[in-house]
Order: sequence, then C-alpha cells, then structure tokens
Amino acid sequence: MTDAAFDAVTLEILWRRMISAADEAAKTLQRVSFSTLVNESNDFACVLTDATGASLVQNTESIPSFNGSLPLTVKHFLDVIGVADMAPGDFLVCNDPWFGTGHLNDITIAKPVFYKGSLVAFCASTAHAPDIGGKVRSVVAREVFEEGFAIPAMHLIRKGEPDATFFKLLRAAVRTPDQTEGDIWAQVTGLDLMERRLIALMDEYGMADLTAFADEIHGRCERAMRAAFAAAPDGRYEFECDTDGLAEPFHYKVAVTIAGDRVHVDWTGTSKQVGRAINCPFVYTFAMTSYALKCIFLPNLPNNEGVFRCIEVEAPKGSLVNPERPVAVGGRMATGHYLPTVIFGALARALPERVMAASGSPLWSIIQTGVNKDGKPYANTLFFNGGSGATAETAGQSCYSWPSNISNVPIELTERNTPFFVESKSICAGSGGPGAFRGGDGQEVVLRHAGDGDIGVIFMAERLRHPAPGFVGGGDGATGAVLIDGAPADARADHVLKPGQTVTLRLPGGGGYGAA
Amino acid sequence: MTARYSLGIDIGGTFTDVVVYDHADDRLFSRKLLTTHDDPARAVLDGIRQVIAEDAVPAGEIGRVVHATTLFTNALIERKGARTGLIATAGFRDIVEIGRERKYELYDIHIQKPKPLAPRERRLEAVERLRFDGTVLQPLDEAGVAAAAQALADDGVESIAVAFLHSYANPDHERRAGAIVEANHPGIAVSLSADVAPEIREYERTSTVLANAYIKPLARDYLDGIQAGILNAGVEAPLLLMLSSGGLADLVEAKRAPVALLESGPAAGALAAAYFGTAEADGDVLAFDMGGTTAKLAVVDGGKPEVAYHFEAAREKRFAEGSGLPIRTSTIELIEIGAGGGSIARLDEIGLLKVGPDSSGSDPGPAVYGLGGELPTVTDANFALGLLAPESFAGGAMRLDMAASAASLERLAKAAGLTPPEIAAGIRDLVNETMASAARVHIAERGKDPRRYSLLATGGGGPLHGAEVARKLGLKRMISPASAGVASAIGLLIAPARADRVATIAKRMDQLDWQAFEATFAALTESANRVIAAAGLDPAASTVDRRADVRYVGQAFEVIVDLPPGPYDAQSAPALVKAFEAAYLAKFTRTPPAGPVEIINVRVAVSAPSRAAKASGAGESGRTEKQIGVRPVWSPADKDFQATPIYDRYALRPGDAFDGPALIEERESTLAVPVGARFRVAKQGEIVVDFEQRTAP
Repeated sequence: MTDAAFDAVTLEILWRRMISAADEAAKTLQRVSFSTLVNESNDFACVLTDATGASLVQNTESIPSFNGSLPLTVKHFLDVIGVADMAPGDFLVCNDPWFGTGHLNDITIAKPVFYKGSLVAFCASTAHAPDIGGKVRSVVAREVFEEGFAIPAMHLIRKGEPDATFFKLLRAAVRTPDQTEGDIWAQVTGLDLMERRLIALMDEYGMADLTAFADEIHGRCERAMRAAFAAAPDGRYEFECDTDGLAEPFHYKVAVTIAGDRVHVDWTGTSKQVGRAINCPFVYTFAMTSYALKCIFLPNLPNNEGVFRCIEVEAPKGSLVNPERPVAVGGRMATGHYLPTVIFGALARALPERVMAASGSPLWSIIQTGVNKDGKPYANTLFFNGGSGATAETAGQSCYSWPSNISNVPIELTERNTPFFVESKSICAGSGGPGAFRGGDGQEVVLRHAGDGDIGVIFMAERLRHPAPGFVGGGDGATGAVLIDGAPADARADHVLKPGQTVTLRLPGGGGYGAA
Repeated sequence: MTARYSLGIDIGGTFTDVVVYDHADDRLFSRKLLTTHDDPARAVLDGIRQVIAEDAVPAGEIGRVVHATTLFTNALIERKGARTGLIATAGFRDIVEIGRERKYELYDIHIQKPKPLAPRERRLEAVERLRFDGTVLQPLDEAGVAAAAQALADDGVESIAVAFLHSYANPDHERRAGAIVEANHPGIAVSLSADVAPEIREYERTSTVLANAYIKPLARDYLDGIQAGILNAGVEAPLLLMLSSGGLADLVEAKRAPVALLESGPAAGALAAAYFGTAEADGDVLAFDMGGTTAKLAVVDGGKPEVAYHFEAAREKRFAEGSGLPIRTSTIELIEIGAGGGSIARLDEIGLLKVGPDSSGSDPGPAVYGLGGELPTVTDANFALGLLAPESFAGGAMRLDMAASAASLERLAKAAGLTPPEIAAGIRDLVNETMASAARVHIAERGKDPRRYSLLATGGGGPLHGAEVARKLGLKRMISPASAGVASAIGLLIAPARADRVATIAKRMDQLDWQAFEATFAALTESANRVIAAAGLDPAASTVDRRADVRYVGQAFEVIVDLPPGPYDAQSAPALVKAFEAAYLAKFTRTPPAGPVEIINVRVAVSAPSRAAKASGAGESGRTEKQIGVRPVWSPADKDFQATPIYDRYALRPGDAFDGPALIEERESTLAVPVGARFRVAKQGEIVVDFEQRTAP
C-alpha cells in the first residue's frame, strides 16, 4: 500500500490495530506502576501521534484532559528539540504546565518512532506522578516556582542511555523518589510496547509512513464533526455561572457560536487569573472544550486530530482559563473541570437532548504528606467523585467521575498504605437534584488520622457554596462540605492533622434534568 | 475409578449435550437436545435415559458424572436470581453501588453503571471493624447482625451476603455473622465474602459475594433436583461440577459457592481444546470457538489453559470492559468477542465498514434465513463467497432465502461503492480481523508470542473462519477435532480432577515468617486434597502446584508466579525471587530498579489425572466418497473465486491428505482450507491444516 487508497475495510482494520496498541501500552503501564494514582485511580493516558504530533489514537479508558493535551506536548517537543536532535532509542520528557497538562504533577514522555530511517510517529503517555516536590498542589502557592520540580522539554533517554543527572536531580526534589522514578520507567515500558506493535503493523501492511493513513482518518473525522456542526441550528449561545472561587466567586462566561460547519467557543468574560494555584492554562482549557464538543457532536467515533482541528477556542490572556506565567496552576482541574458543563449550559437551548446537567464535579481529592514510621517522607493522593448530571434520557449516576475519569482507591488499600482509617463511605441519598430525571447522588467519606505524627493535608473540593445546576427545568444538586472534627474547614487552606483528628468530605450531587 | 463409563453433561443457551464415554472400548455415545429453559433438568434426564436405553449403557456402571452449565451466568445476565440482601460493615453498605467511580466509556453522557444485585433498601449494616492486618478493632455486634437479618427476612429475601472490611485477613466476624443468620433463618441462603473471594479490594470482593448470593438458591434447587433425577435414572456415581477454573467441585462445594461455576461451560470447552491439541500441537493451542453471536478464545500452554483470577459478568454494555459486575474467582482465562455468524455488517457515520458486535441472533437471524432479517451478516457473506451452500448448510435441513441474502449485500455494497463479492469479502476479512485483534491484545497482555501456537477451531464458525484468523496471527497450523459439536461435553470427561485454593498473606519477602508461610501452603494443600478425595480420587497420586501473586513493593497488580515445589524455609528466598523476576521479565520485558518484593496471595492447585479418552468420532459412518463436488469459492489471496473441491468429512479417514483450496463439510460446520495450505486427517479423526509460510502482503 503506497498511496492513499484506503478502502472501508483496510482503514478500519489499521485503525483498530492502532487502538489495540495504545490499549496494550496502557495495560502495561498500569500493571507496572508504583503509585495508586496510576494503578488504582487511572490518572494517565497513552496516545499515538503521527510524525507531526497529530493524534491518531488514544487508549480506550483514557482521561479527556490528557487526550487533548498530549498531542500538544509532542508538538512542543518538535518545536523545542527538533527532529534533527531525535534518534532511535530516545525518550523525551516534559512537565511544563503551559505545554504539558496544565500543572507540574503530570509527567509526559514521548518516544519518537523511526521506521526505515525516518521519523514516522510518536508513542506518548502522560501519568500523574506520585509526587513532584513543592507545595503539593496547595492552592496557597502564588507562582509556579513554588509548585515543585520543573522539567522543560528535554531528553530523558538518549539512544538508550538514560540521563543520570536528570534522575539524580529529580530524586532529590521529590518526597517519593522510588515511586516517582518507578513510574517513569513504567511509562517507558508501555511506550516500548506501543512502538513494537506499530512497527509490526507497518511491516505487515507495507506502510512506509503514516501520512496517508493520518490524512484519511483525520479527514473522515473532521468531515463527520463538521457535518454534525452543520446539522445543528446556527446561532450564538451564551451561558454564565459562578463557582466557589476564593474570597469572591469565580465567574465563567462562554459564547458558543454555531455557524454552518464551524463552532467557535469564546471564554471572554470569564474571571481574571488569580494569585493562587487554581488557574487553568490554555492547554487544559482546549482539552476540556474539545471534550465537551466531542460528547455533544461526535460521541461514537474514536478521538483524534480530526476532531481537534474543528475546535476553535478563544480565551483572553490573563484570564482564569488562559493564565500567564509565572502564576501558580497546581489545582487547575478545580477550574478546568467546570468548562464542559458551562458549554453544555450554553448548548442546552440549541441541543437540549445532547447535554448533561452539571455534575458534582470538579474531581475532589485529598493529598497527604508526612513522614512514615520508617522515617521516610511520603505523599499520597486519594480521589472522590460526586454525582453526575442527569440527561434527557437517564438519571445521573451516583459517585461517577465526570468530566474526568478517575477511580477511587479501595479502602482496604488506603488503610494499608496510608495513616488514614476510613470510618465510613456512603452515598448521600437525595443529594442529586430533582427533575424528570434526577441528578446522581454524592457521597460522604469520613477519614480518621490513625497514625503517629502530623499529616499535612490539602483539599481539592468544589461546589461547597455553588451547587451543580440542573438543566431544562431540573433542580440543583446539593452542595458539598469539608469538615475537620465535625466543624467546617477552609478547604482552600493547608491543614495539619494531629493523630485522632477526623476529616469529613461530603461530595456534591449532580443536577437534575427536566421539570420534576 | 474402575467403572467402565463416564457421563458428561453440558447445558448451553441453545443445546444440552449428554455424552457417555466407554473407557473399555473407547467409544463415545452422545445426544444433543434443545435446552429446556423452564426446567433445565428435563433435557438432561431425557438425554441420559436415551443413552442408557438406546446405546445399552448400564446405569450402574457409570462411575463418574461431570456437569457444566451456563444456567447461572444467564440468571445474572437476565437478572433472574433470588431476592438478595447484604449485611456490610457499618458505614459501608454503599460500597457495592459506588463501585470504582470510573466510566467505561468516555464520551457517552447517557452512560449507566451496572446496578448492584441488592438495592439500597436491602443493604443493611452491622457494627464491627477489623484493621488491615486482621486484628479486631471493634468486636462484632451480634444483636445488630440478628436485627439486620430479621429486617431482611421480613423484606422477603431468600439469600443474604455478608461482606465485612478486611475479612480476607480474618474471616471470624463474617463466619460468626453467617452462623447467626443461619441459626435464626434456616431457609435463607448465606454467602460470606471471605469464603467466596478472600482477596483485598472491598468493592470487587463484595460484588463477587453478592453474585454468589444472588444465584445460590437457584443453584441449590437445580443441583439437588438434578442429583435426584440422575439417581432416579439408576446412576449412583456422585455428581461433580466443572468450575470456571477447570477444576472440579462436589455437590456441597458447588452449592456453597456457585459463583465459581459461572464460566463452567467455556472452561470445559477450553479443557477439551487442550486435550485435542495434545497430539498435533504439544498442547500449545489457541482454543477458538465461534458461534452465532460470539467467539471465544483461550490460551492453552502445554495442555494447560491459562487461569485468571477475575472477570466480569453481565456487562451493562456488551463487550465493554468495566461495564460488568467484577467477579473474583479462578477462571479459565478466555475472552469473549462480539463476532459470530449472525454479526451484522453496516457502514458507520464516516463510511467505514463495521461488523458486530450487534447480532441478528436466531430470530430474525441472517438475511439468508428468510425470517425477515434485512441486514447482511457474516453468514450472508459466507454464502455469497461460496463458503456455505444451501444444499449442505445445516445438513441441508434449512430452507434458505438466497435472494434476500444477496439483496442485503447488494444494498451495503452500493452504499460502500464496492461490488457485492468485495463487500462480502470485506465483511469476512473484518470479522476475522476483529477476532485476531482481540486475540493479539489478549496474548500480548500475557507477554506471549502468538506464533508458537496452533489454532484449535470448534463451534459452528470456528472451522470456517479459523484458517484466516490463524494466518493473521502468523500461526502455522489449525486443528479441528472430530466430534467438535460436543467437544465441551467431552472436555468434562477428560479433565483432570483439580481443586484450587487461595489465601491472602500480603507480606514482604524479606520480612516473611517462613514457618508460617510453609504452614499456609500445607493448609491449602490439605483443604484441596479433601475435594480430590471426595471426587473418588487418590490424593496421593495427585500433583501439587504452588503459585504466588507477587509484586514489587508499591505496585498494585501482581504477577502470578509458578513457584518451585515446597516445602520452603528461609533458604528458599533466592529461588522464589528468581522465579518472580523471570516471570516479570517475560511479561514486561524490563524490571524496575531493584526494590523489595512482596507476596500478596498464595495459591495451591492439586490435580489428579483422570482416565484419558480417545474420543474418536471419525470413521463411524459408512460413507466412502471423499470428494463430493466442486464449487467456486472466494479466495482472499487471489481476490477472486477459485474452483474449490468439496469433501465429505464423514468419508475422510486418518491418513487422508489433500491440498487447498478445499471445503470440508459436516452437519454442524464447514471447514475452509485456503489456497496454499494442505490438510490431513490425523489419528483421532482431527483435521490438521498446515499453512504455507506467506510473506506479508
């Protein structure tokens, strides 16, 4: 096969094989990872791009933010390092928030794939590191320099030779050197496998490169996405809402314009960036915007660059959704996870049957740091999800990750691996908003510090004051709460827990859909 | 085990197979009956009576009865189990509804989680608490258990599951709670999570014990009934059940933990494949069974099917990983693929051909059935390509509508801008690719190279599609056994009696108490030996395999490692670490910077060989005309039709050999031999197809 002559069968077969390769890489990464962030909570993704960094496929169980940001990071490697400085056996690494995933905690690694002497693709993955040093995503940070170990786009491994200095510096900067380094090797193991599968496929089908294949699937997906845009009623659809923010609420404002086969999303009017670690870099804004549009317009096709090409996003510089260096960004999902719902709010008028009421998200987490019994520092993150929003067809689901796709850590592992003892974990019945279809319920989790010594804790908790709105006449979900020893705590502040103290997390419910 | 006959019973969704093997003369008697869904025992007992009466098998000389069934899986899928309650640790009754909080599909806003088998109002709590090491933090509130049980009984539950936190480390509280429920409510079935799935991770363990509770009353009634019926028919041998793991269970164990029987039918099929692949492939086979709606694939190494320790039942969305109820029991590792004869072909929204996973089922079925199906299926494609022919399909017994079939393909061909043979060839190629792709991921996850296996094809579609699936995987040989139609039931008779036991220890190897470690293995072995003895076999003649689930400290998933034989002491440490590192390297190609190693679970499998059966089905007919015709059949290599000889499988004899292309027809299936391949009939009547090595296109 030498030209673009892909029929309906061959193209499907090639595409499916590449998805399998990404899935295999993901399974491998997960199984050899050293952190519950990856192996229990699924906070990672694997993507295959063409030689230009355009996304071809992603692993099936990936998370939306990384799917959108990974190809951008690969393009950044091409810009900064350049093809001339890439060779077989190289692995590139980066965690720059503005070119990565929006915060330092996610490490992106890419392996350029050479076939018969030419660069043909990149195998790439992003995984949330167990720890990256710094203030551990505390909202209190003002500048990115406080947030941990920064990795500019650089070689991790050059022609098979790991950069020993890099590892030495990294290990010294983080609380969990073995886990953080172990997960980097887990990523490398997964990428090796993806590369082997790709090369076997190219051998079998006699493909010299992936250009024709990429053009074909990108073209087909773009045409399908644009056809879906064209079928929607033209117009300018706006939505605005407030969220918890800091002292003052954050204001989100979007205008989604459908004009023929184009859709333009404009975030002008959204709050200005703030001097706290909760700003959402544009890469993340782009990923969340494209996720929302994909859910609405093209939910059934695999995701790739053909979809991203259709996404026109405008976000004013210096805003919460396009902040400028060197502002802190550690908690960017606490702003970014609102974006798909805001877009749904705008399009609820035009396409009411294709949107979902607001979920009890952003994702919540509690990050702990301290020194364990062996005298070694540790860092650990537990995740929790509120109820999802209802739709025109179904009730929202209780405790279901949306828009992200992050699992909890089993209680039995939490108690084995951390000083926390879980007193209870239960559904907050009735916390989903009322409606023709009810919103999903949130949950209440009570944790007690059962170890010795102090634990530093940081919360990511949203919708404590502003509930998840219902859509199309549905009611709002219940708000959430963070309590320490039964008393409301400032979820934006850093806390120190003494042995015996308890934390109660009450997660918000999702919004209802339609009048009850 | 000196009795002359063995009896195998396999109940599937459509057919019930009853097979009797005569060990003295190596003869096989079988009956295939329609499954009687209202009372599944009826077909079984009819079949047994027929064999006894018509084939003059004396009931009293049947020494062993082994049974497999998909009844319990179907009860889960159709949600037709018992009204079930749960008693959980206070504060945790919702674990089974909260699940792991993760979507199985990213872009579908209407997605729904699988619903728990016990709704919230039938999930109650009891005060008790263990620490992660199994020590008691808060004693069991026995009055609270009694009150919860009473409330559930008042609500009309027939079955109760008990699932407490950390019970894998200490089952005492669950045992005591179970005893209280049983004492107060003798009519209610009780299941304990520590008995059914003693493994860490509370959601998965609770899901498993709930599934057990849900099917337990059904299993009890059915199994007691069939045991009585068999006795009534004069068969006095004890009834043994095939477990999902391929091991055997006696009636008591099967009724206690029926969740371990969910995959018993497919397990029997994999064991049969392992057996039929022994002579011609040294037992290294990919067992490939393709039916009307699904294909199944299992990896068999050296005659032993791979065993996994988790799977999902009753998926919310067919074939979507993560959409089902997690079940943590030993299971012969197999994948189910949404690809079968009835898989529907269509173009998706961007004009790409898709085949499956939706299926036309048996009603309306493929367009060629003439029952109103308008969408082309894989079977329609096979007719269009000459691989199937109306005069021989299903023994020529079915009326077919060739015009409807052709029209369905023409419509799709037109939409795709291809000719009908091209679209038919595309459908076939794509369904083959779907199966090969799934096989590739499955095999790769195990760190194995597919090319060293032979494909062992069974089921109606296995022999018809096997050669091309094998070629896509780079295999050199396909084998299709005689009597493929009742292969699973034969598997029941040739399976070694095996019992598996597991215990969670969760200890670092450098902190291991070796005496306690060895004692755990000894206790597991003793417990497994009791089942072997109950099966009427001699534990002394059995083999003991030790395994452990091992990982580097900090990892969450273990590698299951075959350990050297015991007993162990502190000197054994290097050998165990070495076994782990070898298994890890084989799977993941690189080991992380060396760190401490921990053992999570230890496992023991005790197996006693049963008497091998020859199970030859060939040469029983009087037919002698081997080649019965020639017809044009599509050759994918030539992208055109080729005149292809047709052979009658019932006339072929061991030693016969011919070149492809060829079709070999029998009642239940047609075997396709491609151009460039050669087939022969081997000693036990199995057809062996050897492929010429072709370079990639």
